[in-house]
Amino acid sequence: MNASATRSTRRRAAVAVFAVLAVVAVFVVRLVTIQVVQADTLNAASFDKLSATTTTYGLRGDIVDNDGTVLATTVLRYDVTASPKSVTDFDRTDDAGKTTTVTPTQAAGEIAAITGQTADEVYGILTADPSSNFAYVVRNIDVDAFRSIRDLDIPWLYYSSNPVRTYPNGAVAGSVVGFMGEDADGNPVGGAGVEQLDDQCLAGSDGLETYERGADGVAIPGSTVTTTEAKPGGTAVLTLDSDLQWFSQQALAARVQETGAAWGTVVVQEVKTGKLLAVADYPSVDPNNIDGTPAQDRGSIAFQAPFEPGSTFKALTAASVLDAGLANVGTQVEAPYVYTDPNGASTRDSEFHVDPLRLTFAGVIQESSNTGTAMLGELLTPQQRYDYMTKFHIGSSSEVGFPGESGGILHPWDEWDDQTNLTTTFGQGLATTAVQMASVYQTLGNGGVRLPVQLVSGCQQADGTMTQVPDATGEQIVSPQSATDTINMLETVATGGYASADLQIPGYRVAAKTGTAQMSDGSGAYGDSYITSLAGLAPADDPQYVVSVTIAKPVTIENGLAAAPVFQKIMSQVLKEHRVLPSTVPSPNLPTTY
Amino acid sequence: MTNLAGAYMSRPRTAIAEPAAAPPIEIDPPIAPRIEIVPSRTQKRARPKIAYAAVVVTGVLAIVVTQLLLSIGLSDGAYEISSLQSQQKELDRSNQVLTEQFDKLSSPQNLAASAESLGMVANSAPVYLRLSDGAVLGSPVAAAGSSVTGGQALVPNSLLAPPTVAAATGAAGADGTASAPPAPEAQPDVPWQGALPSPTTR
Repeated sequence: MNASATRSTRRRAAVAVFAVLAVVAVFVVRLVTIQVVQADTLNAASFDKLSATTTTYGLRGDIVDNDGTVLATTVLRYDVTASPKSVTDFDRTDDAGKTTTVTPTQAAGEIAAITGQTADEVYGILTADPSSNFAYVVRNIDVDAFRSIRDLDIPWLYYSSNPVRTYPNGAVAGSVVGFMGEDADGNPVGGAGVEQLDDQCLAGSDGLETYERGADGVAIPGSTVTTTEAKPGGTAVLTLDSDLQWFSQQALAARVQETGAAWGTVVVQEVKTGKLLAVADYPSVDPNNIDGTPAQDRGSIAFQAPFEPGSTFKALTAASVLDAGLANVGTQVEAPYVYTDPNGASTRDSEFHVDPLRLTFAGVIQESSNTGTAMLGELLTPQQRYDYMTKFHIGSSSEVGFPGESGGILHPWDEWDDQTNLTTTFGQGLATTAVQMASVYQTLGNGGVRLPVQLVSGCQQADGTMTQVPDATGEQIVSPQSATDTINMLETVATGGYASADLQIPGYRVAAKTGTAQMSDGSGAYGDSYITSLAGLAPADDPQYVVSVTIAKPVTIENGLAAAPVFQKIMSQVLKEHRVLPSTVPSPNLPTTY
Repeated sequence: MTNLAGAYMSRPRTAIAEPAAAPPIEIDPPIAPRIEIVPSRTQKRARPKIAYAAVVVTGVLAIVVTQLLLSIGLSDGAYEISSLQSQQKELDRSNQVLTEQFDKLSSPQNLAASAESLGMVANSAPVYLRLSDGAVLGSPVAAAGSSVTGGQALVPNSLLAPPTVAAATGAAGADGTASAPPAPEAQPDVPWQGALPSPTTR
């Protein structure tokens, strides 16, 4: 080995090392460029090609009744769209392996047979704008129709699903459950009733899911990225009982039609809890078919329409007078046909009588004597009466907070004129909703403790917890004794009043009050039409349920008899459904005359 | 490089030592002496053994094969997930169809119509039997035979427009006996065996 050989070896080695380093350097530079400098651009480009984003629906929650019967739910419906640009003949291979060519006309016929459109209609949609890439063939079809169309294997059709609201029980509680509307941006949002009241509870939020897919559309394992988690809406649990609700609506509708009345309501409330078991309105809306009902009939009359209650209000006056200790059930009154009070305001009884009626307080209630009630009611000062009324929540809407709920009309006592001062003792000159009247009777049945009116018992979250549970703390309005005394006086209406024959429920003691109120004609005077009502409790010895029936402008019968049979039917049904045992304590049979 | 050069240089030395070990006395014409380069201990250690190569190659192969199998498994899984997902979607759809149908059929309108088409009537005067003392509460009254709906469905449900159970059974019973309650089928009396059933209370 000589020196020159060694040198040449070294040179070659050096060259080799340099070459290798150079190549490595090129790779490193390229690597840095791709991985660092251009990384974002390249990633984005590849992501666009590979990734697919899907919306995961956070479906709107259900509205259910007190035993879980679904009153409103969300289902998926399907839109079928087409790309008119690519509408051409296509080949279809049947099960036997035979291939046939299908023309767009044939395909249109096949689609039309499923959707119920005409073949020309479908063909028209497909050919309306041949340069377009998008056209709705049919929207919101159900699963069966969707499957049939999909099985046609038409290559230029595309499908998408969208959630829609459905109401399996139709008009049962339709006016209370409400329906969907649209917000300012055209997104579906609760438009009426509980749908609107509990929109926050019911609304779900949609999620986004992004994944990368291979050439055949299958997700590449491990590439799913959930950018937004879908959150399904909660379930609004109502206090209503759908069976009773249906029964009430059916009985009410039959009676309203029979008497030729304009509208009616039924409210059933549980005395010991303040929960509404049924809120029936006639007319009522079927939320599946809103357009089938005129716009003004789509709300809940029981919550939204105040009316002058008339004689059913006398129970409140009686309880107030008894609670203030100014009279008792036996207090004797000589009720004249026409009574003029010291202020000069006057009223008269509905039936003419020459001699004054010698009535006890109970008799005043049984006879529904306006003069007697006015005389007893005016034992209280106007301010005292006003205070009792506000404590009974007259003039302020119930705790339900129903959309558009009315609180009735009650002017402050110092604004009452002399006539109003007198008529407010028997329920004219002020207005209440049907729900407010039911709540008055609930208070009397519950020993004078008014419980907050409940329509929604809470919002049930996906994990089963209940949120937004309403407060159920009661408030003592009148003493237990005066409440019981009032119930006993109301019982004389069922045992001897003019509607007593229609109020009998075998085995049960019933306490009720009829009402026939003159309706305002809308111009400040009273018109010719009446609101007839019946509110009551059963069993009278231990009141469990309030049923309050109101029927407006009946033609064939113009007093409480219009509403009484509905009360009897519904109360019987409630007592039966809840297995309330028949009364065992005999009625006190308060003396009504002296 | 330097290592190799060193080994090169040392070879002649060991080669010279080799013939000296040959026996001096030979009968046959002497064959050419077998010359072999004997590696030094360091060289022996430095030279790679075939076993190592084998292990490495096998290892690499094993890794490649495992990787391959793993990715086959993964993509198989992806297809399986995809097919199961579409299966789930189909089942969800079927579930939705059946739930909708169930909810519709169990609506009070449909139940009442179906019950009445079967000739059932409501009795609004129930009587209770108190188990503790056998007392009968309430006065038994026969059902009036009047229907609740009076044949009028006054609470509409547009979902029930297609023929329902009620309509189907109503049509079936329309041959003259639709209005009358069907006579109960004659059941052979079965004598009760043992004690009367009573609720268990503790």
